[in-house]
Amino acid sequence: MDKLPDPVVYAVPAFILLLIAEMIVSLRRDKSRYEARDTLTSLMLGTVSQVAGALVGAAVVGMSVWVYQFHLFDIGLDFRNWWWAWILCFFLDDLAYYAFHRSAHRVRWFWASHVIHHSSQHYNLSTALRQTWTGFFSLTFLFRLPLFLIGFPPAMVFFCAGLNLIYQFWIHTEAIGRMPKWFEAVMNTPSHHRVHHGVNPRYLDANYAGVFIIWDKMFGSFVAERDDEPVRYGIVKQLGSFNILWAAVHEWVGIAKDVWAAPWKHKLSYMWREPGWSHDGSRATSAMIKERWAAGRRVEEPAE
Amino acid sequence: MTLADLIQLGASLVAVLFVAWLVKAMGLGADPRIADEAHAIRLAEEADAGFRGVEVARDRAGFAAIVRDAGGRQMLVRAHGNHFAARPIDASVTGRLDKDFLILTMPERTFGTVTLQLGKDAGMWASRMREIARG
Repeated sequence: MDKLPDPVVYAVPAFILLLIAEMIVSLRRDKSRYEARDTLTSLMLGTVSQVAGALVGAAVVGMSVWVYQFHLFDIGLDFRNWWWAWILCFFLDDLAYYAFHRSAHRVRWFWASHVIHHSSQHYNLSTALRQTWTGFFSLTFLFRLPLFLIGFPPAMVFFCAGLNLIYQFWIHTEAIGRMPKWFEAVMNTPSHHRVHHGVNPRYLDANYAGVFIIWDKMFGSFVAERDDEPVRYGIVKQLGSFNILWAAVHEWVGIAKDVWAAPWKHKLSYMWREPGWSHDGSRATSAMIKERWAAGRRVEEPAE
Repeated sequence: MTLADLIQLGASLVAVLFVAWLVKAMGLGADPRIADEAHAIRLAEEADAGFRGVEVARDRAGFAAIVRDAGGRQMLVRAHGNHFAARPIDASVTGRLDKDFLILTMPERTFGTVTLQLGKDAGMWASRMREIARG
């Protein structure tokens, strides 16, 4: 397989400088945007995520190369000849990311791996680095396989995926309010992504985009940030702990316990149904939370 | 893992510890307290969209509170970092009364034990916990 450099490695110094810049902004505007133990947890989760990625990297690349042998079209890597393919690859990779990300919030098996990224009650650049340890185990790489079947070379796809990840770093901030209107209309922005990290019922399960917010607008999952409803960040059942290991595995432990305790006919449902689903209705899914919230609002604001 | 990978990992760990130290050294962070009963109710309702608090037992220092709804359900809210976290108080929660203090031990070990200084109300809330335990 042709090899290209990993753009994320080159972006790391910029990540650290931007993080420190954001901390200085927080010092002036709102000191509560950072908390030392939260930052340490986020950054440690990110570091171990890199180790986990390195350990399974060969398997992911091997699988990609294997799938690529069945490709439909011959697409080259050389940018001068294949510039349009690079652009198309970046675009389609972002669509694949949208599909993965939406599933990561709607299927508990994928959520168990993705929940790490949402487990902080803060929203700052360190949150961006709070990444999964168990992505390979939850099979998240499956979503990119169609790109190899089309004919995009694995090196091109992985390079585009790296650029996608770099783009998503800067949107994890409260330091930026809104970008210019045209930019907010097309691109994922801090404002759109704040909504995605929100636990307010209004904001649950929205804005799954990586780079282009157009996917959410096309597939009906877009919710705009409102000035009259500040975002509360985290997960529906806040961790209440800075334990790094617990942050990484708590949902997997939850799945194991539920599958063990559930009646036989419901065991699989605790893996593939949405987070919060239970066979006896004793827990709340995001749809149920939204419904209860809407019912509460109807009581508080009776129709005129 | 190659030597280059190990050096990269070592450098990452140093950078992580430096940034976390910097957050502390810069004095970033907050000391969140539950200001009053209305604040406690709001936090409990935010934690559970269907919960409507009607009565509150607030720790004297404002670190934690127990909120009860009209149906007798109770929710524990406590400070966590710059924010708050909440859990329902059910039969699996152990409560211990020690003079003016009510000490709650949650089944979830990572959530920890929460001590509330409730003054003369501690006994009443402890007996409510016993009712929950009895079902």
